[in-house]
Amino acid sequence: MFLALKEMKRSKVRFLLLMVAVALLVFLILFQQGISSALIRDFTGAIENQTAPVLVYSVDGQRVLQASVMTPELEAEVASVPGIAASGRLGVGTFTVTADGERVDATIIGYEQPELGAPSRLVAGRLPSARYEVVATEEDRSKGFDIGDTVTVEPGGRALTVVGLARQSQLNVVPTLFTAYNTYVDAVAARNPDARTPLPNVLALTPEAGLTPEVLAERINAVDLNLDALTRQQAADKTPGVSQVKQSFAVIFLLYGLVVPLVTGLFFLIVTFQKANSLTLLRAIGAPSSRLVRSLLVQVAIVLVGGLGIGILCDVAISQGQVGSLTLEFNPGAVVFWAVLLFVLGIISSLVAARRVLAIDPIAATTGAGVGR
Amino acid sequence: MSTTNVAVDLALRMEAVRKVYRVGDSEIVALDHADLTVAPGEIVALVGPSGSGKTTLCSIAGGILSATSGRVVVGGTDISDFSSKELTAFRQSTVGFVFQSVNLVPFLTARENLLVVDELGRRTGSAARKRADAILGELGIADRANNLPSQLSGGQRQRVAIGRALMNEPRLVLFDEPTSALDTKLGEQVMTVIRNEMKNRGIAAIVVTHDERNTRYCDRTVHIVDGRLEGTSSH
Ligand SMILES: Nc1ncnc2c1ncn2[C@@H]1O[C@H](COP(=O)(O)OP(=O)(O)O)[C@@H](O)[C@H]1O
Ligand SMILES: [Mg+2]
Repeated sequence: MFLALKEMKRSKVRFLLLMVAVALLVFLILFQQGISSALIRDFTGAIENQTAPVLVYSVDGQRVLQASVMTPELEAEVASVPGIAASGRLGVGTFTVTADGERVDATIIGYEQPELGAPSRLVAGRLPSARYEVVATEEDRSKGFDIGDTVTVEPGGRALTVVGLARQSQLNVVPTLFTAYNTYVDAVAARNPDARTPLPNVLALTPEAGLTPEVLAERINAVDLNLDALTRQQAADKTPGVSQVKQSFAVIFLLYGLVVPLVTGLFFLIVTFQKANSLTLLRAIGAPSSRLVRSLLVQVAIVLVGGLGIGILCDVAISQGQVGSLTLEFNPGAVVFWAVLLFVLGIISSLVAARRVLAIDPIAATTGAGVGR
Repeated sequence: MSTTNVAVDLALRMEAVRKVYRVGDSEIVALDHADLTVAPGEIVALVGPSGSGKTTLCSIAGGILSATSGRVVVGGTDISDFSSKELTAFRQSTVGFVFQSVNLVPFLTARENLLVVDELGRRTGSAARKRADAILGELGIADRANNLPSQLSGGQRQRVAIGRALMNEPRLVLFDEPTSALDTKLGEQVMTVIRNEMKNRGIAAIVVTHDERNTRYCDRTVHIVDGRLEGTSSH
């Protein structure tokens, strides 16, 4: 400790710079992680945070809620599968609506029963109980989607009243309205009076007690190649584009994650070379090499913990706010994951410098030349 | 007194020490048939031309280097067959070094350069701090205690190095050309400090020097030529 701390005290600037560099990288990772999960959440939150454990799509719909169509034949096939406790229809469509005097795109999701497709993260108000009542997404409350606001479907002018707010429940990053199935049908009819009654897009199911959603989904998929049953989480993760976005971000994180140990490893290797004379002297006057390695590791640990601390604090600060239309959320799981990973990688990277320390031959102190090679 | 007792009491006993450096295919005999004893409190000057094996001898006596053959006993401890771990502990506890070139850790103050010795072994804490302050006072650099080496003159740095070598209360201190980087006057001052410190504490020392004038600060002079010790002269 003595040596490690004294050296850091005498070279404050360089160690602080490294700490700041680590902090910056940690912050960038956590910030981008926040953005990527906010992006994905606002893309598929309506699927992830709804009540039905199993969703059945038509294969032709390619796992897009609006593109899937449940024909009466497919519905009948699903109904014949044993193990279904309850089943309800979901209708999903993108509409132009007027909210707060402005025309915007919005998604309307109609469900038949609250436990089969209603939002599961209601944070204010209540679920719809009368016709033309809707739950809107919390993120859009200031844009004319707050409780008591009226949203009008265009064209046709069907008025909907917001009675509740759900968190992280958007679909396709636009304001999303959850409502009773018949209100959804009315909205479709209002927009296009000549259209026939729309077919449901997907079926929402709950398995019988003792049956997992996975097993029920498998059973349904075995019935007909045109059926595509997924659990709630699968449906969110397998929405087209989600895994590509996740992968792209994963590559970025991987690169950042490698830069941290690279920077610390290189820094401490250079510092070790620079003070090779001192290390040799200390070995010559009786310092065990383990002592010098420990001193190095103490410094690495201090820099990493400091850098992680600052980076995490910055992330906490920025997670309280919004970036554009994205609402960031502090994610303790991600913070712990990255903190542990980067700390371990940082320590491992410094082992290169530790090897140099172990390789020092104290005899070099007697000549003064040939140190540090 | 029996022979064994005398041997135990000696600060250093080297018997038939031989050191061969292997460089590629060739061998350099740096030290051959070296027999040397240093009594407790005795200061021995080691004089010889460049490349004669002076540094090699000190390194072996101080446990930095292992002899190819022969016996080395320091303060009653036979270190001839010590492992490198044992040698490290031995250096920490039993000998003091003042090297030819690098002697101080640049990011530690004068005082910390002394205290680091305590940090390397079993820590004594406040006792070590007291000891460091006392030594710095004796060496006349108490007012420089909190200066970094870069803020000290050559003579002051050499005094700090001497102080560092005394911190572990060694049985034997090895000075490798302690005045070579200093002008005559400063060199004489440093030799005086060395003599006083060793004599006050009764610590034995070997002082390697080019300069015959330095030998008058020593009790005895040993000459070395081509790795062989020759003619001892007492003062
Ligand atoms: N590490 C080494 N490898 C090979 N030869 C060495 C090494 N150290 C010293 N020597 C050789 O051993 C001889 C004695 O060196 P040294 O003890 O340094 O002499 P001095 O200190 O008297 O100048 C010289 O010929 C030198 O070149
Ligand atoms: Mg030499």
